[in-house]
Amino acid sequence: MNPRDQRLYLAFLSPVILVLLCFIIVPIASSFFTSLHRIIIGLPQLGNPFVGLENYRELLRDSVARHSFWITVIFVAVTTFFELLIGLFMAILINHRFPGRGVLRACVLIPWAIPTVVSAQMWRFLFNDAYGMINYAAFGAETARYIPWLAIPGTALSAIIIADIWKTSSFAALLILAGLQVIPEELYQAAKVDGARLWGRFWHITWPLIRPALLISLLFRTIDAFRVFDLAFVMTQGGPADATNVLQLYGYKKMFVEGWMGYGTAISVCIFLIVLILSIIYVRFVGRRLLEASV
Amino acid sequence: MKSLGNKWLFFIVISLLGFGAQYSYAKEPTTLVFLTWKPNQPEVWNRLVKEFHRLNPGIRVKFQVGPHSSTQYHAIVTQRLKNKDTNVDVFFMDVIWPPEFANAGWCMDLTHRFPVQDQEKFLHGPIAANRYKGKIYGVPCYLGAGLFYFRKDLLQTYHYKPPKTWQEMVDQGRMIIGGEKEKILHIYSAQFKQYEGLVCDMLEFIWSNGGSVIDQKTGEPTLDHPDVINAISFVRDQIIGKAAPEGVINYEEPESLDLFIQGKAIFHRNWPYAWSVANNPQKSKIAGKVGVGMLPAFAGHNSASTLGGWQFGINRLSRHPQEAWQFIQYMTSHQAQKILALEAGLAPTRRSVYNDPDVQDRMPHLRAFLPAFERARPRPLSPVYPMISQELQRFFSQAIVNRGSDISKLARNASARIQKLYKLGAMIK
Repeated sequence: MNPRDQRLYLAFLSPVILVLLCFIIVPIASSFFTSLHRIIIGLPQLGNPFVGLENYRELLRDSVARHSFWITVIFVAVTTFFELLIGLFMAILINHRFPGRGVLRACVLIPWAIPTVVSAQMWRFLFNDAYGMINYAAFGAETARYIPWLAIPGTALSAIIIADIWKTSSFAALLILAGLQVIPEELYQAAKVDGARLWGRFWHITWPLIRPALLISLLFRTIDAFRVFDLAFVMTQGGPADATNVLQLYGYKKMFVEGWMGYGTAISVCIFLIVLILSIIYVRFVGRRLLEASV
Repeated sequence: MKSLGNKWLFFIVISLLGFGAQYSYAKEPTTLVFLTWKPNQPEVWNRLVKEFHRLNPGIRVKFQVGPHSSTQYHAIVTQRLKNKDTNVDVFFMDVIWPPEFANAGWCMDLTHRFPVQDQEKFLHGPIAANRYKGKIYGVPCYLGAGLFYFRKDLLQTYHYKPPKTWQEMVDQGRMIIGGEKEKILHIYSAQFKQYEGLVCDMLEFIWSNGGSVIDQKTGEPTLDHPDVINAISFVRDQIIGKAAPEGVINYEEPESLDLFIQGKAIFHRNWPYAWSVANNPQKSKIAGKVGVGMLPAFAGHNSASTLGGWQFGINRLSRHPQEAWQFIQYMTSHQAQKILALEAGLAPTRRSVYNDPDVQDRMPHLRAFLPAFERARPRPLSPVYPMISQELQRFFSQAIVNRGSDISKLARNASARIQKLYKLGAMIK
């Protein structure tokens, strides 16, 4: 590569770098900068003093933030696990050839295509304690036995988890399907000739070959699940007793309800760091797997 | 589209009037932006604004409508005011906001436009809520106070008088449910979701047990006092899942009112607007069977209701403060408040409306509300109230949701967190 070429490449790259700088690097840096200040919009007399890492120290001592963190971790772990599991089943199903496969493939994506706020509202109605379909399906006309799902801490969190699994499993399925489709049909035929059963074919052919796709969807789902906000915002507003007060919602409330900008931004920055670290770990892991698979 | 049509019509009318009238040319009207949320009866508000336009042809009022929830609407208003948005002239304020808005410098000081002798024409509670450090920042539009609704017919059948104490309410309710064959009948319905309304409802229990949450003078939280803890324990042990269905933990006003007007609850706590809904035969199964009065108290204490309601404020950076003030004057006039009372069921803040013969004739119950309105107590007044409220909501919700909750321990935690917030607020004094 001669120096003139290099300059040309740089010129071609510069728009992308500029966009990245404007829309990613600068906002993140400015968020971090904000999080180092004490900014309370209801108390402008305080000014915007620089307080260093005070907000972060406070955050580490904040029992509500800790609670929100664990709630979020539970949410991420459970939703990701079930979304990958269900996604895998769905992918295998829609990978088979059968009449109407195209229509079914399209249908699978419907939950994912609906805006989250809309589907959250729908689930809120389904889980309603007085006229919800879920109660009706479980207890029929015996309204006295209806369960107020969103009023009990445990079931409220489960309700949000179920809504998320319903919504995003198909996204995982789509990613896994892409992995399934690159597996050559000959491998299965050869295995059949060798007398491998269904389970054997899955375990020795499908599983090793879709692992990269699985890891990619794991990466996407974990990162996405960590940023959950809209489901809790619409379905429970974080209640009852903070049972669904996920980290993003807590940060939102600090910023926009309480007007405590510096502290709320510190929460956002922490979520960003958690997601960043997870991504780095995953990408290294996935990267290695991808290399192995192609060897 | 509608407003566009109106605008054209307006221009035509003005240009026609322009000939021979005192206007020698059609003047461009001043547009006032009124930031509010979608009212329950928009048609009544539209009527008022139309009338205002007729009286003030030089002013056009444009409504900008935010979310219905007070907390979410607060987020929008504060964002716009904080960002020095001069496109907002008049905004609607919840009764808990004036100290915060005044301190932040978002609200125009109205002391000269709204002198004490005019303030005295309004009920005391809402005026006090609009004062901050000796100045006044808002004009109350309508007021709210926690009221106690009950099934007149059922109480009559069982020869009961409306209960004076919470325990009496539970006891009466048990007897009535025992006698009624209806499959679903609960004793009580109110708002216990983790949101602003929870603070209102819980404060009424606490105040009516002689307790309070914050010593307004010292700013010290008083959550771990026995009268507070006993009141909360009563709610946890006797109300949630007992007198009221467990679902109330996720109820705001509409859901809890729904239970009552479906005939599934004997007693109900709500704001004044619930009266017209409960007595509307198209919406309510119990129209005409509803009684209303003061909330019960704990034995040996007085009933208490939380002050609610909405005020008009003017953006300090508004380019049209005089027009904004004209609009507010009209909207809080005797005439306008009378229309809001008669057609939208909103409780007036102006004393004279309560003596209006039409109002007395068509809303005889309104005078019965007056004692509750006069005695309604404000939530803690503080520029950091939104933060305090979040902590109170968390504490109350944790205390009542889990049957085995250690209320004293939760109270100590919440007190420590609230104390920290008060320290922030004290830094500006």
